[in-house]
Amino acid sequence: MASLVLQIFAVTMINLRSIPQRLLLSISTVFAVALVVLVLLGFLAMANGFQRTLTGSGSDDIAIALRGGSRSELNSVVVRNQVNLLAEAPGIARDATGRPLISAELYLVIDAVKRRDQVKANVPLRGISREGAALRKGISLIEGRMFNPGANEIVVGQDVIGEFEGFELNQSITLGTGRWTVVGVFSANGSVFGSELWADAAAVQSLFNRNNVFQTVRAQLESPAALAAFKAYVEADPRLKLEVQSEAAYFADQASRVSDLIRRLGWPLAIAMAFGALAGALNTMYSSVAARACEIATLRAIGFGGIPAFVGTLCESMLLAAVGGAIGAAATFVAFDGLTVSTLGGSFTQVVFSFQLSSTLIVRGVLLALLIGFIGGMFPAWRAARMGIVEGLRG
Amino acid sequence: MNDLVLIRQNLRRQKLRSALMAVSILIAFAIFGVLVGFERSMNAREQAAAADRLVVVNKINFTQPLPIAHYSRVRAIEGVRQATHLSWFGGYYQEPKNTLIVTAVEPETYLEVYANDYDLRPDARAAFVRERTAALVGETMAEKWGWKAGDRIPVSSDIYVQKNGSRAWDVTIAGIVRGRTPHIGTNFMVLHYAYFDETRLFGKDTIGWIALNTVSPSVNDRLAKTIDRMFANSANETATDSEKAFNRAFGAQLGNISLVVVLIIGAAFATILMIVGNTMVMAVRERTREIGVLKTLGFSRVRILRLILGESLMLALLGGLPGLGLAALTAVSLRMSSSSLFSALVLTPDIALTAVVLMFAFGLVTGLAPALSAFRLKIVTSLGRS
Repeated sequence: MASLVLQIFAVTMINLRSIPQRLLLSISTVFAVALVVLVLLGFLAMANGFQRTLTGSGSDDIAIALRGGSRSELNSVVVRNQVNLLAEAPGIARDATGRPLISAELYLVIDAVKRRDQVKANVPLRGISREGAALRKGISLIEGRMFNPGANEIVVGQDVIGEFEGFELNQSITLGTGRWTVVGVFSANGSVFGSELWADAAAVQSLFNRNNVFQTVRAQLESPAALAAFKAYVEADPRLKLEVQSEAAYFADQASRVSDLIRRLGWPLAIAMAFGALAGALNTMYSSVAARACEIATLRAIGFGGIPAFVGTLCESMLLAAVGGAIGAAATFVAFDGLTVSTLGGSFTQVVFSFQLSSTLIVRGVLLALLIGFIGGMFPAWRAARMGIVEGLRG
Repeated sequence: MNDLVLIRQNLRRQKLRSALMAVSILIAFAIFGVLVGFERSMNAREQAAAADRLVVVNKINFTQPLPIAHYSRVRAIEGVRQATHLSWFGGYYQEPKNTLIVTAVEPETYLEVYANDYDLRPDARAAFVRERTAALVGETMAEKWGWKAGDRIPVSSDIYVQKNGSRAWDVTIAGIVRGRTPHIGTNFMVLHYAYFDETRLFGKDTIGWIALNTVSPSVNDRLAKTIDRMFANSANETATDSEKAFNRAFGAQLGNISLVVVLIIGAAFATILMIVGNTMVMAVRERTREIGVLKTLGFSRVRILRLILGESLMLALLGGLPGLGLAALTAVSLRMSSSSLFSALVLTPDIALTAVVLMFAFGLVTGLAPALSAFRLKIVTSLGRS
């Protein structure tokens, strides 16, 4: 047994030391595997970053009510008396004076110019109640102040300023006939709200001629468990044709639509490219075996078994693939991790997010690389193990 | 002996190696075909845009409605040849995940403005204009759902509700619309604005945007300014742009797809270039002795060069052409999938042609280094080397 281990070790070392003889071919295999991993991890880091931004935005103890059938805030309509009915619902938390903590909100889209390419894109303008900001965790003003009720004042998410032009503090923005002033900038702790503009709901209603009409209602629940009672109340009242869900569930659904799509594009591409890299790995390893036919046969002639020849070749292949995988993961980290981009989210507006590489993703990338190395090494290794001594020595 | 026979024999010398190289080339060209097709389909709206067409939207954002009164005022402006208005319906079929691109239009003017974009049989045209609940369906959408003229289908909206509380509008398909050029996507449905506006619960007398043809592209800029000035300082200011600029901005909302596509194709080609290039060098080096023999037999240097370049070219085509075939098959199956993202994905002849040109370039590049070294090889050294 010990001798087998020694034999395997000896043959593996011979294999690895002979890599410089096939340097270019080996490098091309490493390079091919690295690119496969780079493409895969690029897509996965994008999907992951988008998902984290959205799922980090929703909480379990906030309920969100949308008109039945509308899948996003943009398409929903909730009228004033529905809001009043919702304020009476059980399960809603109240402040010290007994006022229910709810926020009837408008969600509208306005044009903004992207810094990167000067193209117009959709940015959400959210009209919220006084309680609106408090219904979101991790919101803090980093510049200026909150808007005043009824005034044409806007507070801007930090990510909006990074990605779009013209929303800095004290800037004025013309929307229709009204002039609006940016009075504050808030940080949203990496959530999707950082991509939004907030203003007083009543002011937004009059700007867009939507008096008494809202789009969504957010309510602070006494606890996540209170959602059931709230939901039952809404379903029992025929005047409330609304769908209630937790904010966490709402954003999880929004996130999955885009990030699933990104993943569905990334995996097939990476797998297709992996087949190309596999062809390269097989090629390299077959030439490795062919180049060392004489050596392998000599070893067999002096008593080495077939297993060391098999393992040695497999090790060489997997090492090349592992190096490729590591380079690919490192390159993804350098090129993409933390890269801030924006795309259209579920509500037809730009969501600013960053690529996020995680250890789970890196493990997936490296596993794919090792799989390429394993398959690419196994068949040549099989040939090496079964090579006849006589033919090998003759070659 | 014929050169072609020699090339074929050389490729067969190590069948497995040749096959592996062909497979990696195949995959690179399959990726090329699908991704370029995808990128084109995403940019097709921009390419399909007519030079003399302007789009008038609400200045705040194109999702904000315009009052219908804007339409008659815009129509009357000098320099406007034809105009029509469109409203986004937010459609889906049966389940919200089956998104349908549906707009409510004014039938006669719609068909006038888009006369050069879409092809429609005269009887279908007449049926669409006549019947209030009629709809036209683009070829791609009809193919995807198996719809034909005469079918009666419910189209649901995720934005609007009917006054009777229903979310679904029943329409009868009057005919199938075909694009006049391959760039024009036909994954859409149009229905009567009058039917939609009278039955919807809210939003009455508003429209989504106005599309118009100008008398000549040269008046576009002036006309756009005139229109926007007309509504300046009103409650509903407008932003007028050429259809091309509007479509470009719309496409850019998703992100820089072209850049992603270029990067991935670059990665795929760089991979096979390295693998195949190196393997060719190795394969020719193994044959040094043999090349010396050929030269001794009187094969000219140019003929040796041609043999090796021919081999790498043959390999590129052997891998690349089936790769294009695979791309075409993938494009068809993606187009039929439920995702509307791929509904305009086609492998057009010009993409195929570009791919074939690339195959030749690829074959020449990978064969060049080994071919040149064989070209320069001296008989004495080659026979001396073992």
